[in-house]
Amino acid sequence: MFLPVLRRDAAPGAPGFIGAVVGPLLVVAFVTGIAALVYQDATMTEIVLLFGINAIMVVGFQIFAGSTGLVSFGHIAFMAIGAYATAIVSMDPFDKSIVLKDLPKFLFNLHLSVIPSLLIGGGVAAVFALMTGVALMRLSGAAASIATLGLLVITTNVLSQASKFTHGPQSLFGVPQDANFGWVFGTLGVAVLVSGLFKWSRAGLQARANRDDLIAGESVGIASLRARLVPFVLSAFLTGVAGGLYAMLLTAFSPASFAIPLVVVVLTMAIVGGVNSITGAVVGAALVTVLNEAMRRVENGTHVLGVHLSAPTGISAAVLGVALILTLRWRPEGLMSAFELQFDRRKPAAGEPAADATTTAQPETFSKGDSHASQRV
Amino acid sequence: MTAFIQHVVDALSVGSTYALLALGLTLVFSVMNLINFAYGMMLVWSGYIAMGVINAGVPFVLTVPIVIIFATALSVAIGWVAFRPFIGAPPITLLITSFGVLLVIQYIAIVIYGEGPRILQLPALFSKDAHIGAIRVPVLELITIGTGIVVVALFYALLQRTSFGAQLRAAAESPNVARLMGVKPDRVLMIAFAISGAIAGVVGLLWFAKVGALTPRSDLNPTIEAFIAVVLGGLGSIRGALLGGLALGALETLMDVALPNSALGYEQAIVFAVVIALLILRPSGLAGTTREAT
Repeated sequence: MFLPVLRRDAAPGAPGFIGAVVGPLLVVAFVTGIAALVYQDATMTEIVLLFGINAIMVVGFQIFAGSTGLVSFGHIAFMAIGAYATAIVSMDPFDKSIVLKDLPKFLFNLHLSVIPSLLIGGGVAAVFALMTGVALMRLSGAAASIATLGLLVITTNVLSQASKFTHGPQSLFGVPQDANFGWVFGTLGVAVLVSGLFKWSRAGLQARANRDDLIAGESVGIASLRARLVPFVLSAFLTGVAGGLYAMLLTAFSPASFAIPLVVVVLTMAIVGGVNSITGAVVGAALVTVLNEAMRRVENGTHVLGVHLSAPTGISAAVLGVALILTLRWRPEGLMSAFELQFDRRKPAAGEPAADATTTAQPETFSKGDSHASQRV
Repeated sequence: MTAFIQHVVDALSVGSTYALLALGLTLVFSVMNLINFAYGMMLVWSGYIAMGVINAGVPFVLTVPIVIIFATALSVAIGWVAFRPFIGAPPITLLITSFGVLLVIQYIAIVIYGEGPRILQLPALFSKDAHIGAIRVPVLELITIGTGIVVVALFYALLQRTSFGAQLRAAAESPNVARLMGVKPDRVLMIAFAISGAIAGVVGLLWFAKVGALTPRSDLNPTIEAFIAVVLGGLGSIRGALLGGLALGALETLMDVALPNSALGYEQAIVFAVVIALLILRPSGLAGTTREAT
């Protein structure tokens, strides 16, 4: 009898591995179900899709942050690169003749369908991550954060100057509007699957071993650069794909779309959910989306229990800020901490006392999301 | 020759603004390893207060101390409410907390002042040029350089000659030993925030006197320039912050003069490429202090 449990580590052997990979997929299925209900409301379609893309983004970010313990601002740069690469290969040549008429011939004539476009978006981001990561992944702590912020600044700077490929600082428009429910949530499922496979793989365990104790890790033969580089490149691939979907959702965007506000959203989702958990990434994305949407309604003026609520525009950013500080203060590891939803034959081992506490906390989280969702429909 | 001297004055003026910026940022970093993303917002708030005070008809001589007092108080308040609970937390937690603080104080500015740009009306003197022989120098640049010298002198006097300064240096050098010697960590932190805030008040005035207008989102530029200057000089080093700021001023002026027009758009990318290269090749910064980025 396999039962869902919350645990930090996978149970031993192949059944444990499979149980650990399938668990987060169940969370995705659950979230997708709620999203599908909300999606029926025509005014909510874009928000649901944006949630899905953000969730892919956060899952991608989590692979890196969770495996290495570093905070990267560079992932927004990978998202931007994925968005532009996807746009270039998927746009109709007729639309390119308006905004990108100076593209080299072979790129100009490309007109790929959704899957190859997204794969190319992710691939270009991954190659870029590999090239920069060789240098960046030597840094730790504050230096790594500033250097990856530098990567973001350099990327947006170059994107807005390379007009031949990007239409410069103006917006690039004419991207086919292909980001529908199936693609977005299908990709989210794949992202979580890849993320789970990596987390419990040899490379994933090595990365986390080095994160927890660098000296011990290196002394048993884990090369620290490689242990960081693998999750860096893998997460860049997923964020690149998320960027591609983002391009296909917005259809028009500029380098300025990939700036600090987006960093804040992704970072908040990851921190609130718990940087060390894939389950947490999905839960965090869902919670912050609900919070944002609630605040957007408050901005427009709304009635809750007969009380009229309204606030000046921008309150959602401030609420995100408060959510960040409160999470870090009272639950610094995020809602899910390092726990994952897993399937296991056994009861959790005696060494995991916190599991029970989180087991009760988790359904509560979901019911919150649920009640908000049902209000909307 | 005159062109060269003008460029040097430019570089010194820009550099001293950056040096002060970096000084305020690195001071708090040295005590609690905080990379403060909300720092630029302190400048913006100082700018808004200056605007309010000037528009209320207060003479400029009084505006300066009012702004400095306000910025100091604001900085201490933020430090007390938002950062004091995190003493001893990992640097990444602190960095993300500062993001939260930034979002909140930015929102308050948006609510009060709106998103649109506001003009900072300064006395006519600030927009004039001084003629020294054949050289024409904006008065603001001379004021900036002068202010830089005065602030740094005051800062060193405070750091080297007072008990506050001694506690601060002790806590930065070895927090545990300082604690054992009876230096209270939260008190030191508040001193650091107070000085950092006062400096932010001064820099805020200089910065927005030069830019002319401010919006609630004008904070990103100064924050980023401060980060760069701090990294160039070596994270957490006071002397490094000053050197890093001057070096950044020189680098930017040099690029303005030397880069061909086609490459001017890439200035930001070039500066950050230098920063990343320096972080990797020489993590202790130009000043070469022993303190490593942690």
